[in-house]
Amino acid sequence: MSISIDLNDTKDTATLTLVGSFDFSLFNEFRTAYTELTKTYSHYVIDMQMVEYLDSAALGMLLSMRNFVDQESSIEIKGANDFIKNILMISRFDKRFDIQ
Amino acid sequence: MKLLCIDSEPVYQEIVALCAEKLDIQVKAVSTYIDALSAFKDYEPDIVTLDVVMKGGSGIELAKQFKVMSGARFVPIVFLSSNVADSVMDKCFQSGADDFIPKPFNELLFNTRLKTHLNHLQLMQEMYEQNKKLTYFQTVIQREHEMAHHVFNHIQNRSEKDSESVAITRLSAASFNGDLALIKTRSDGTRLVFVGDFTGHGLPASIGALPVMQAFFEAVDDLANICYLSAHINKILYSILPDYMFCAGYLMLISDRGRILYWGGGMPNALIRRKNGQMDSLPSMHMPLGVLSAKEFDVDLEESVLHDGDTLVVLSDGVLELKNSEGLMLGDTNMRAIIERSYEEKSLLVAQRKAEKELIDYLGESTQLDDITLVAIRNAHLS
Repeated sequence: MSISIDLNDTKDTATLTLVGSFDFSLFNEFRTAYTELTKTYSHYVIDMQMVEYLDSAALGMLLSMRNFVDQESSIEIKGANDFIKNILMISRFDKRFDIQ
Repeated sequence: MKLLCIDSEPVYQEIVALCAEKLDIQVKAVSTYIDALSAFKDYEPDIVTLDVVMKGGSGIELAKQFKVMSGARFVPIVFLSSNVADSVMDKCFQSGADDFIPKPFNELLFNTRLKTHLNHLQLMQEMYEQNKKLTYFQTVIQREHEMAHHVFNHIQNRSEKDSESVAITRLSAASFNGDLALIKTRSDGTRLVFVGDFTGHGLPASIGALPVMQAFFEAVDDLANICYLSAHINKILYSILPDYMFCAGYLMLISDRGRILYWGGGMPNALIRRKNGQMDSLPSMHMPLGVLSAKEFDVDLEESVLHDGDTLVVLSDGVLELKNSEGLMLGDTNMRAIIERSYEEKSLLVAQRKAEKELIDYLGESTQLDDITLVAIRNAHLS
C-alpha cells in the first residue's frame, strides 16, 4: 500500500494516488498526505484506480479529509472499481464528494 | 560486545584478541573444554570463536552445548581450525556453527567476517526488541477487544430474546468490530429495531455503543418516533466521535399490523423475503449516523409493509464480505439466494439456524475476518 502525491499549481489541483488496499494501516500516511501540503488547492483528486479494497475505516479517513480541506474545495474520487463505488454510494458519499 | 575465544594455541588467542579489540569488542580467552563451558555460562559472550580440537573435549560437541545453552538468544559460533577436511567442516556446521574460517587466516579477512557477524547480531537484537514490543501491543489490543466484546454483550443482553418473531445472529471474529443489534417491543405493541455497524475495531468501535443503547431504550420507554430518535443518535455520535468515526445503521419501527417506518444510513440493503419467495429491498438512503451536523442531518423516513409470513432481514456488511477458501466474497446475489432458501421455513428459529449454517458452510476452511450480524423479523401479531 502506498500513496503518491502529484501537485499541479497551474490547474490548482492536488492528486493523491493510492495503490493496494485502502484501510486503517494507511491512517497516518493518508492524513499526512493532505495536511502537510504547503498550500490549499481548489481541487483534490483521489485516484483509486489501483485500489482493490476499501473498508469503513477508509471511509472515515475520507470524511476526515473532507473536514480538513476548505469547504469550497472539491474532492474528486476517481477510478473506483464497482465494489468500492458501491460502498461509497451506500454511505452516500456523493453528498460530500465528486465520485467519477 | 563480548567475544569468547577458545583456542589451545596462545598465538591465535592473541590474534583474535587484537582484531576484536580494534572493533571495541571485549575478549576472554580460554583453552580447555571445561573452562569454555563455565566461561560461556559466566561471561555470557555475544559471539564465540573456537577450534575443533581442544583439551578435554571436541569443539563440535561444545558448539552443540552452546546452541542449547543460548536458548532463544542468538550467539554466532565461528570455527577457526586448521583441519579443513570437508567432513570436519560439515560436522561443524551440523553442530550449529555459523561460520568456519581455516587457519592460518588473514587478519583482514577475519575482521571482515567478524563485522558481518556483528551486523547479524545487531539485526537479531533489534528484531528481538521489536518482537517484544509487538507482543506487548498485541496483548494490550487483545485485552481491549475482549473488553469491547464484554461491553457489547452487556448491551446486547438487554435486547429482546430470540423467538418466532425475532432472531438475531452474531458471529464474532477474532478481531472485534462494532456490530450492534437491538430490538424491543414497546408498550403499544410496536417493535423498535436498531441494527448498527460502528467504524473501526476493538475498544474504539464500542465507545459510541453505550450512549446509543441508552438513547434506544429511552425511546422505547417514551414511545418516541424514529425521526426524533435518528436525529438524537446522530447528534450524540456527531458530538462524541472523532470525524473519522461513524455508525452505519437502520432504525425501524414495526407496528403490530406490520407497517414499517425506517431510517437507514450507510448499510447494505435490508431485504424482505415475501411469503411467495419474492425479494424486496429496503434501501438505506442516508449518510451514516455521526457524519452530518444536526443542521444537515436528513430525517426523511421510508416505508414498507411486512405481511403475514414475510421475513425482514437486516445484515451488516461483514456478511456480504465473508470470504470463502478461494478468497471470493459472498456478495449480494449469493446472500439473496441464501435468504430466499432459508426463510422459506415456517419456523423463524429453524430458518435462522439454516441461514447461519449456509454462511458457515460458505466460509469453509477460511477464517472469518469481521463480526457478522444477521437480524430476522416476522410479525408475530399477524400469525
